[in-house]
Amino acid sequence: MKKKDHTTVAVLFVGRPNSGKTSLYNALTGADAHVGNFPGITVDVLEADVLAKDGTVYRVTDLPGIYTLCTSEADAGTDEGIARSFLERVKASGERYLVIQIADATKLELALSLTQEILDAGHPLLFAASQRDELDRENKVLDITILARGIGAPAIALSARDGQVKQRLLDAIANALGTFITPASQKAEAEPQQTRDPIVARELVAKAVRHQDQSAKPQGPTFTTKLDAWLLHPIIGPVLFLGLMSLVFAAVFLVSDPMTALIDRCIQLAGDAAERQVGKGLAISFFVQGVLGGAGTVLAFLPQIVILSFAMELLDASGYLARGAFLLDRGLRGLGLSGRAFLPLLMGHACAIPAIAATRIIRDPKERLTTMLVVPLMTCSARIPTYALLLSTFFAHKGPLFRALIFVGLYFVGILLGLIASLVLRKTVTRGKSLPLVLEMPAYRAPQLSVLRKHVVRTGSRFIKDVGTTIVIASSVLWLLLYVPMPGAAHREGPAVERSVAAVVGRSLEPLTKPAGFDWRINVGLIGSFGARELMVGTLGVIMGVEGADQDSAPLADKLRSAKKPDGTPAYSSRTALALLAFFVIACQCLSTVAAIRRETRSLKWPAFVLVYTYALAYVAAVLVYQVGGLLGFA
Amino acid sequence: MSMGSAPRTLAALPLGVVARIVSIVTDTATRHYLMAVGLREGDTAEVLRRAIFGGPLHIRAECGAEFALAKALAEQVRVESS
Repeated sequence: MKKKDHTTVAVLFVGRPNSGKTSLYNALTGADAHVGNFPGITVDVLEADVLAKDGTVYRVTDLPGIYTLCTSEADAGTDEGIARSFLERVKASGERYLVIQIADATKLELALSLTQEILDAGHPLLFAASQRDELDRENKVLDITILARGIGAPAIALSARDGQVKQRLLDAIANALGTFITPASQKAEAEPQQTRDPIVARELVAKAVRHQDQSAKPQGPTFTTKLDAWLLHPIIGPVLFLGLMSLVFAAVFLVSDPMTALIDRCIQLAGDAAERQVGKGLAISFFVQGVLGGAGTVLAFLPQIVILSFAMELLDASGYLARGAFLLDRGLRGLGLSGRAFLPLLMGHACAIPAIAATRIIRDPKERLTTMLVVPLMTCSARIPTYALLLSTFFAHKGPLFRALIFVGLYFVGILLGLIASLVLRKTVTRGKSLPLVLEMPAYRAPQLSVLRKHVVRTGSRFIKDVGTTIVIASSVLWLLLYVPMPGAAHREGPAVERSVAAVVGRSLEPLTKPAGFDWRINVGLIGSFGARELMVGTLGVIMGVEGADQDSAPLADKLRSAKKPDGTPAYSSRTALALLAFFVIACQCLSTVAAIRRETRSLKWPAFVLVYTYALAYVAAVLVYQVGGLLGFA
Repeated sequence: MSMGSAPRTLAALPLGVVARIVSIVTDTATRHYLMAVGLREGDTAEVLRRAIFGGPLHIRAECGAEFALAKALAEQVRVESS
């Protein structure tokens, strides 16, 4: 017998969304699943290696949830298109593979047309009816043999909540793979029918699934129906929806703030320890302020990213997100989008990078592009430190309620601008009408915490890797610009930083930024935050000569308030602050976002467009706010 | 009003009335997608609610699955009383 060590078989999980595919995949692969690196695919496709009893390695891949394999060219970027091309690629590669279709045991008819498509395309199939515990609860029993014979492929019934499910799956896979080696014996048993025909499918299911209790009463309204009566109520629905969204964002501030402060403190201690060990000097300064400072900024954002990503995954997995899309579709349609755009736009309030990737749930390519171009306008976590600094510096006298209101107002301005931008884009650059909404409203269910946890960990590590690298690089480059003296400027008096490359560039930009009330110091801050807006506060700190501005912004606030122009008048005022806020609301100061847009659109045109349009609009807005502020009599 | 057998559309179906889908009158790709999602010719369907201002309809199909369906699409799904 041939030794089967190190044989790899590709196992592909396929199925409708909400079929229980994710839970079963999770049960089979456990913590080992990682995001695979597949050419040409920008979405999260999980991959893991699982060892079978005989030493074969199953390379298990979780394809996106799909309704059909029949797609056209235009659908290449959708979940269906991705799954289809993935399957075709594996088939063409000649390696051994198996497709496992996961289907909801309580809604088998729905799955069977996909089953037929998989078989028609010539893929080897194992049919797995999941959520068998739900079927038991409905007092029904599934005769898997009838189903397998009717489909013409091996079949198994499972529940992800069963402790033995991993072993059962492994055994079923091994059996299925063995079956395909002897097709003759398999064909003798099967009487496959054309299950793509809905009538045939329904008859097959009627034969395979029977009520245990023949005198079963018809079921009353389900939990989902009862809950929808509230959550989709014409008045209560939207109110609850707004309430829920506010709760999510409140949680970000209340819970993540102290954690962020804690992380900041730890980084500061680490930097101090490094300086104590090695002493002060240029290299240490580069390491502590450039690299460590950048790393600290990234880590400080992690609590917010974790909480928001947890909340959004919870909303999605529980089934509520589809209800949100239902409520918002009409409104979004007026702006050229659809209910599906709701999730990416919501995610953009945490971080634009995962939001850009999430736009793949929008099937219409022009609508997807528009949403990507507009997501950077959503108020992401990274804008908050700058908002907080400006509000506390220039509006301290107005009291906390006023500042809180402005904060909330800034969020709404971001959303409003995003919607207006979408409207304009849909009439000009990404012209077209959206595909009409077709969105499954799944039954409400309690998400599995382990699945949630893994998703959050993946999002967090992806954030650290993608955004973190950019920020650390940007922070290091910025350090160089701030500490390397500009040749020829050595004669100038004052602190060393005012002779740096950054300062000289900042001064040269002054004629351009004066109408917006920005002087060279703010210009340096904007240069510094070009790569990552999180760096604004730290950069301002350095240029104002304040150490550790990220950790404690009170000294920086004082410096900003007391800074003077050459003629002795205050350099900055609430007018400037408002203009700078306006700039920050709009400008896409995040190279990671630009890179994400490049990845998703596979072109340089659209990321360049986003940079140009947001910076141009931001500049105009800042100038307008500053000038109008002057007319209105602001200081 | 007599319940004639003349097909109406899903968009015009009163809430809570179960009707049979006669045909989906739209382009091939959309029709295929709708059937794949679960709204199939020959199956029954019911409108649970409508979003305000002409928004989508909340439909329950015979197999038990529920969808949000744009009003424009619902107007292309011909039904008759079952």
